[in-house]
Parts: sequence; C-alpha cells; structure tokens
Amino acid sequence: MQEVVERIGELLCELQSPDFYQREEAVKELGTYQADEAVAGLIMALEDGDLGIRELAAEYLVKMSGETTTQLLVRFLANEDIGTRNLASEILVKIGRDAVPAILENITCDDHDVRKFLVDVVGMIKDERAIEPLCQRLWDENPNVVCSAAEALGEIGSVEAVPHLIAVCDKVEDAKLQTIEALGKIGDPKSLDKLYELLGSDDPMILFVSLEAIGQIGCIDSVTELKKFLDIEDTSLAESAMGAIITIYNKNEGRIDPDLPLEKFTGFLFDGIKSHNDEITDFTLDRLSHWFGSDVIQGLLDVIDHVSEDRLRRIQEILGEVGHAAGKMIVKKMGDATKPTRLKLLDLLKYIVDDDIAEDISAYANDPDPEIRQRVAHLLGISGDLKSVPRLKEMTKDSNGHVRAAAYGALGWLGGESDLKDIFPGLDDNYSDVREAAVGALLVIGGESVINKFTDDLNNQTTERQRLAVTALGWMGEDATVKPLVAAINHPDAGVRKSAISALSRMSHISDVEPILLALTDENSAVRKAAVTAVITIKGADSVQEIRPLLDDPDVWVRYHTITTIGELGRLEFTDFLMPYLEDESDIIKIAVVKTMAMLGERRAVPALNRLTSERNKDLVDAAEMALTSIERGR
Amino acid sequence: MEITVREAGTVMVLDLKGRLDLASGSRLKEEVKKIFENDNTQIHLNMSEVEFINSSGLGSLVSIMKEVRLLKGRFTLSNLANYVEEIFEITQLSHIFEVFPTEQEAISSFQAISSN
Repeated sequence: MQEVVERIGELLCELQSPDFYQREEAVKELGTYQADEAVAGLIMALEDGDLGIRELAAEYLVKMSGETTTQLLVRFLANEDIGTRNLASEILVKIGRDAVPAILENITCDDHDVRKFLVDVVGMIKDERAIEPLCQRLWDENPNVVCSAAEALGEIGSVEAVPHLIAVCDKVEDAKLQTIEALGKIGDPKSLDKLYELLGSDDPMILFVSLEAIGQIGCIDSVTELKKFLDIEDTSLAESAMGAIITIYNKNEGRIDPDLPLEKFTGFLFDGIKSHNDEITDFTLDRLSHWFGSDVIQGLLDVIDHVSEDRLRRIQEILGEVGHAAGKMIVKKMGDATKPTRLKLLDLLKYIVDDDIAEDISAYANDPDPEIRQRVAHLLGISGDLKSVPRLKEMTKDSNGHVRAAAYGALGWLGGESDLKDIFPGLDDNYSDVREAAVGALLVIGGESVINKFTDDLNNQTTERQRLAVTALGWMGEDATVKPLVAAINHPDAGVRKSAISALSRMSHISDVEPILLALTDENSAVRKAAVTAVITIKGADSVQEIRPLLDDPDVWVRYHTITTIGELGRLEFTDFLMPYLEDESDIIKIAVVKTMAMLGERRAVPALNRLTSERNKDLVDAAEMALTSIERGR
Repeated sequence: MEITVREAGTVMVLDLKGRLDLASGSRLKEEVKKIFENDNTQIHLNMSEVEFINSSGLGSLVSIMKEVRLLKGRFTLSNLANYVEEIFEITQLSHIFEVFPTEQEAISSFQAISSN
C-alpha cells in the first residue's frame, strides 16, 4: 500500500513534467489506481496545457466515477477557466446517474455560476431525483439559474414540474421563454390553458414559443386555437402556427380537421420539404388531395431533388393521380433541368405518359445523354402510343447498347407481326443484353413467324445463336414450339440439347416422351441430368424404372441427381433400390442416399446409417447422424 | 387455370392458379372485361400459383394493361414465381407493370393513392 502511495506521488510529480509523453504515461498509470490521490491527479490533469492529455484524463475519470471523483469534479466547476469547467461538466454528464448525489448536494452552493452548471448537468443527465431540487431552483435569486432549471425540467420531462413552471412563468419575466419551452417539452395537456392564455401576448417571441409548445403537446383540440393565427398578417407567426398544426397532425396520425388554408402556405411547406423536414414533408404529401393546383404541382416538381426515394415514389403516385396536366408540367420543367433532375422527371412520367406526352418527350430521343434516351425509349413503350413505333425503330439503331435494348423492349410492348423484321436484326447485335432484349420483344409479340425464326436459328452458323434460339423457344412455351424443341434434343450441341429438354420439362404437356427417354443415354452428363428431371416432371413416379439405370451412371453427379430426384418424389417404395447405395464406394453417393433416407424417414436404413457414423469422412458422419436424429424424431 | 375473383376494398383481386397460356389468357381477359363492365378499373392479379407463363399468356397481360391504361385505371401484379419473374425481366415487362412482392403491398399502394 505504501508503495502505491509513493508511486502515485511520483506520478503526480511527473504530471508537471515538460515532456508530453511522460505526462501522458503518468495519466495512463494514474487511471489504473482506485486511490483518491490518483483521482486528484487526474483532476489536476484536466488543467494540462495539452488537449490530448486533458481528454485522456477525462476518459479515465469517466471510467472511475465514484464519490471522490464526482465531488472533486463538482468543485472543479468553480474553476476560472471556462474550458476546464466545460470539460468537468462533460465528464459529469458522462458519469451520469452516479454523479447525481454529489451534484444535488452542491446545487445550493454560494457560487451562482456553479449552481447554473450543476443545474445544466443534471438536466442533461435527466435523472428524476433532480426534479424536486430543480423546482426549488426555479425560485433561485439568480435568473440564469432559474432559466437553466426550467430548461433542465423540460429535458427531464416530468409532469410533476408543470405547476411549478406555470407559477414561475407568471412571476419571473426573465425565465418566461424557458418555462414555456419546458412546458412544451413535457407535453402535459394541463399546460394548455396557460399556453392559450399566452397566445394573447403582445410579445412575438412569447407567441412563437407558445405556438411551438402547443404543437409539441399534440392535442387535436388545440388546432382550433392555432387556426386563428393562420389568417393573421404576420407571415412568420402564421407559419409557426401551421408548423404547430403539422406537429399535432403527425402526432395524431393525420386525424385532424382537413379544412386548412394550405394554399397560403405553399412556400413554407415546400421550403420545409427542401430543407428535409420530415414532419412537413409527410404532412404535405398526405394533404395534397385537398389542394391540387398548378402551384402545388410546380411545388412538388421543385422538391424532387430534396426527397428520399420513398417520397419520390409517393410524389410519382400523386402526380399519376393528377394525370395529363401534371405530365405537361413535367415535360415543361425538363427543358432547363440538369441531367439527374431530368432523369427523375422522366421517372415521374411512368404513370402519366400518354400519346400527347409521348410526342412531347420524343424530342429527347436524340438527347446526347444515353440514360435519357434509354428512359425515353421505355416511356414511349409504356405510353401505348403506336405513333411512337417508327421512333423506337430508329432507336434500335442507337450507338448505345442500353438504348437499343430499351428500344427493343418497348417495341415488344407496342409492336406486332408487321414490326418483326425490325426486331430480328437485334438477334445479331454485338451485345448480349441487346440480343436478349430482342428475344424478349419477340416473346411478347409471339406468333408463328417468331417460332419459325427461332426454329431456323437452331441451324444458325453460330452456336451462341443456336442456344439463344432454343432458349427462346422454351420461353415462348407454345404448343407449336414442342416440335422444334423435340427435334433439338438431337442437336449436335450439348447446350442446345440440354436447354431443349429443360424447356420441354417446363411445358410438361407433351405427349411423346420417347425422345427425352433416349436423352437419358446422351453422351453429355448435363444432358442426361436434364433428361432425368424432365422424365420425372412429365411422367412422375411411373418413370422411376426408366431413370433407375442412371443410378449407376459413369458420372457421379448424374447418379447424385438421380438419387435426389427419386427422393423428392417422397415415396418409400423406392428406398429398396436406393438403400444398397449406402454401401457405395463414393462418399458423395452415400451422402445423397443418407439425405434421401432422412427425408423419407426410412427406419430400415438405421443399421446402415449407424455404421456410417464410424466413417472417416466428417461430412458423411454428420449427414448420417442428422438422418438418424430425423428418423428417430419421426417415429 | 383457376381464376377466382374477390374484392379487397375498392380493388378487384384475381387469384390465378395454374398455367397462363393462350386459353387461360383469353379467359382472364374475359374476367377482366366483366370487371370493367362493372365500372371498376382497379385490378390486382395475385400470381402466387402461376408456375408457368408462355408467350400468349404474356400477350394477354399486355393486352389487359393497355385496356386499363385507356380507362385510366390501375393494374398491379404480385407474388411472381421465380420463372415468371425471369420472363418479366427478359421481356422488360417489369418496366411497364407494377409488380409487388406481396398482395398486401399492392393493395396498400392502391389505398395510399386513394387516401391522397
């Protein structure tokens, strides 16, 4: 113990060292001792000339807290240096509830500056033990202490303080604003009569804070009082009243009198949206149905760069309800808009665009920016305006692939048989996205000519086009595509064969499965796997005997796929010929069968599964143990 | 394909079950036409049980969409199966249709607009 005291003494001396690092090390070591002398040393370090040292000492003091720390810190609030006092206050706030007893013990001290600091600190800690002492401070001889006490009571938010605050509001002129603000923060409706009374004041500041406080309390009945201010000449006061009504509106989920002269507050509301005020934004967007007009639409268009995506979507829906008139204003605004705004404006047209607006935005089909052209292509398609078809055909020749893809997509929605010759070239585009877009357009248009085109393409010179053709035929999924797809099962390219089989299995209503059965012996393993899936999908459990030979396929993954496909049928009758594979040479196969046995709850597999729990392969052991648990649970 | 029509507030919801192709697409258009005749143009398709759609099925949806737009109505879809969603992406129909993950979200969007 003596050694510790001596060491702390040395450290206290080191705190006076001109060497920064020595002082820093001393603070760090003092922070490791719980002794009062160490705390005193750290408090001393709060006056160090270096900010880093001061902050380090503060950090340790917060961790140490304790009565000595808080008492010393409270005393430190009388320090002449404002920076040091502030630092001591910050530490007390960070210590929190543990600091409250020491603060309250000193809250009536002789130094009014210290009293004020203590009141401020306890307000920030928000401890209810401080309510009574703070109410007493409302009658402090020093007005600064009174103001701080009112603010602190507002922060704590206890209704107990309301009668005291109302009394002080009447009697201490200097603290009127702070008491009104505190009443608003506490939010007790019992304050309302006093606040309504204050609305008769001649002092504009009293009026502002009273209006705000009434809003914060959030009573629907207050709207009647607040509405009286909406028609007054003083715009700032009227806007404060509107702000208070908006606060009440949001606190009551919109359940307030809808009859408000919103047209008078257009600027205030849209400025609120622009300054990212959530309350005003939600209120404004919610109330638009009572308030359509060109100034409102213009206001909405002016704020699109200031709102979140969710709210932009709401604006889009609102403008969609307005319809054509809003669309015309959007197009007009595009003229001098920047690119990001122009893109947003184009997005807003999605639910509005009609023949007339399609014609207006056609001007942007040649915009230098490809993103704009892409959006325009989409909108021309969405418009349903057949007059846009020639423009879209031109856009399929755009230098930018994204624009070409969008143009093909739009042609699919608008076009018909007569437009196919303009879409087919898209299948030869250099970019796969554009080729896919052309396929998409052809899918939507559909019909015999499209099927014939893709059927011909199965013999195209390039494998890529052959594969695209078989995929497209599958996606088309028409009865007339069955014949070319069946033929494609014998295609030279394995990718085409596999896609053809997968497409046929999706269509599943084909009458002749013989070609698919033949594919079970295809030279390519991926084709054989696709054939297994297709046969089971089309013929169901009846076809298990036909795929059973693939349990001994040379490719382990074909075997795995066959086992799991049979297992997914959920029929115990097939476990007889799966169980022998629990003894297979391949662990992958064993795992597949183990999982199938678990899924089916096959109790006859238990002995074999028990044996597998002694295998070396951890994955196999885990699978066997899980299967045993699963089967046991299902008993 | 089974088509069930029900009301969800002001929205007519059609539950589709099965494959959306030429025959079922024609029936769907007929059902929607009946809804239009009752002066309702707010339509939602719940496609949770549509596991397959072909070219003709897509055509029928596009055709309904065009009709709804002409009538200044609204047409939404929800619960697209993975395969159907894939087809919507390829055809870029996801740009013209309002597709929602769930029916509830779609119906809420109708309500949000009507309350506005």
